[in-house]
Amino acid sequence: MNTPTVEKPESKLTALRELPANVWHSIFRNPLPSTDHERASTSFTNFFLHIHPVKVHRNTLRPLYTMGLGLMTTFLFLILVVTGILLMFYYVPSTTQAYDRMLDMRGTVAFGIFLRNMHRWSAHGMVGVAFLHLCRVFFTGAYKKPREFNWVIGVILLLVTLFMSFTGYLLPWDQLAFWAITVGTSIAGYAPLIGKQMQFVLLGDTSVGQEALLRFYVLHVAVLPAVMVLLMAIHFWRIRKDGGLSRPEQTALPEPVPAAGVVKIRKVYGLQGFVRGPFTKVGNTPDDTVYSWPNLLMAELFVFVLTVSIILVISLFFAAPLEQPVNIMHPPNPAKAPWYFLGLQEMVSYSAFWGGIGVPGLMVALLFLVPYMDRGTKGVGRWFAKERLLANTIFLAMVILNVIFIIIGTFFRGPNWTFVTPF
Amino acid sequence: MAGVVRSHDRRPASADDKVGRRRLLAWLSSVGLAGSALLAAVSDVIFFKPRVTYGQPAIFQIGKPDDFPPGTRIAREAERICIVREGNRVAAISTTCTHLGCSVGISDTGFACPCHGSRYDQDGNVTGGPAPKPLPWFKVTLAPNGEIEVDKNSTVDPGSYLNV
Repeated sequence: MNTPTVEKPESKLTALRELPANVWHSIFRNPLPSTDHERASTSFTNFFLHIHPVKVHRNTLRPLYTMGLGLMTTFLFLILVVTGILLMFYYVPSTTQAYDRMLDMRGTVAFGIFLRNMHRWSAHGMVGVAFLHLCRVFFTGAYKKPREFNWVIGVILLLVTLFMSFTGYLLPWDQLAFWAITVGTSIAGYAPLIGKQMQFVLLGDTSVGQEALLRFYVLHVAVLPAVMVLLMAIHFWRIRKDGGLSRPEQTALPEPVPAAGVVKIRKVYGLQGFVRGPFTKVGNTPDDTVYSWPNLLMAELFVFVLTVSIILVISLFFAAPLEQPVNIMHPPNPAKAPWYFLGLQEMVSYSAFWGGIGVPGLMVALLFLVPYMDRGTKGVGRWFAKERLLANTIFLAMVILNVIFIIIGTFFRGPNWTFVTPF
Repeated sequence: MAGVVRSHDRRPASADDKVGRRRLLAWLSSVGLAGSALLAAVSDVIFFKPRVTYGQPAIFQIGKPDDFPPGTRIAREAERICIVREGNRVAAISTTCTHLGCSVGISDTGFACPCHGSRYDQDGNVTGGPAPKPLPWFKVTLAPNGEIEVDKNSTVDPGSYLNV
């Protein structure tokens, strides 16, 4: 300490010797944490980790509470971004080239078929898992105050996911793509007043062609992902600001410290103390939280590895479908939309307006309004709470109805949309 | 009230007239900003609505009347029309399903859509399925070069034929 003058001749050499360590410490502020203080600072001094709170409630980590569905949706989106960017290097959004490029993806591009499989199955997976996440949030009453608006953002995210999937569906430019988009955009044409205009602007022409392919491509690879990332950021940010994930009432607030007869302790506000909300812990009150590092991170890592593994295995064994090239003279019979729109298509076969615009519009409007209509505060944070029997029953009925329509549309409809049995 | 000056308020106490001007300016700026945003939104819509389309033209010639012998119903699938010739009369009926835009095929009784099972009679009237409207008839004229010209931009009453 007090002999700097003696070491001065060696200082340049010392700097050289310590260079690797200095570089390392300039990038990573903390060693692998071994104390609570280090665990805390690992979470909030690392760019990638500071999205996490320093501590999380134990309930948040219960696998059977969240089932990791929101995380899984996020990781599927991550896989879609990575595989999608790679596919962009070989794809051309042109009616004369797109289909050939799909064939090349199968034949000549290294890992092309595998990347396309991953992209396709992750897209299907994301729609499915995002919907399950919505169901989880509903059945645990997690949309209630103060999380109403995050539910609204979640519903918008689901709609953006569906639109992403819909725009991606056209890009292979095969028969499936062409006719599914022809049918899908015609449904948009049934919207009152602006329907036909909307369809024309969406397609850039009166029917599906080069303009539509280009427009859907730009929406799919640039516009919608940007919207999605922005909304995801708000969705995650609000989880923190709304007091973390929902949890049962009895654990929502920390036990108050008995104050009678005790000298009032001057409160010490940590960084978290400035966050408003009903669940903020201020001062040293007992709670039921654990440090995010390593508890939350390990849980996230587990979900990540699980998601990637499932997609990898599915992509190894199942090839993404590619039908005949577009032939505008011969629609396949029946022409079916992707499975998550088959419930819609089934309803559309009864009435184009009510099946395609009226009923779905009403259902989406109901989804948006749910947290503002259901104002009870009981039964939050538990699956199928008795207090929420009515709400859960109505929601479950709607889910089952939709699933039934999807099953009918998928398995029980044959040529000319006549009723057939799948066996 | 007017005489109260809070410690962080740097305005002189006698500047009540300035408050009025400030509020007016703030209001004008807000209106300007909101108006600009509205204009931007409108110009977006104008931008995205194409002024030129590159697909199938709406007015086109399909051949001489002799190419369509009397009594035939010939579907021209690329143009999505069906040319009906009865005696000396010619008409063009749309083959785009009025339900959801699939191509309808010619069937024994008229037209049938493979997508959702809509059925039409020989004149394009709906006989079954979810189709909400009959198939439109397009305006047909004889061009100076002797070819039949179809104009998909203008529809005519069903049953209106062109004598050739």
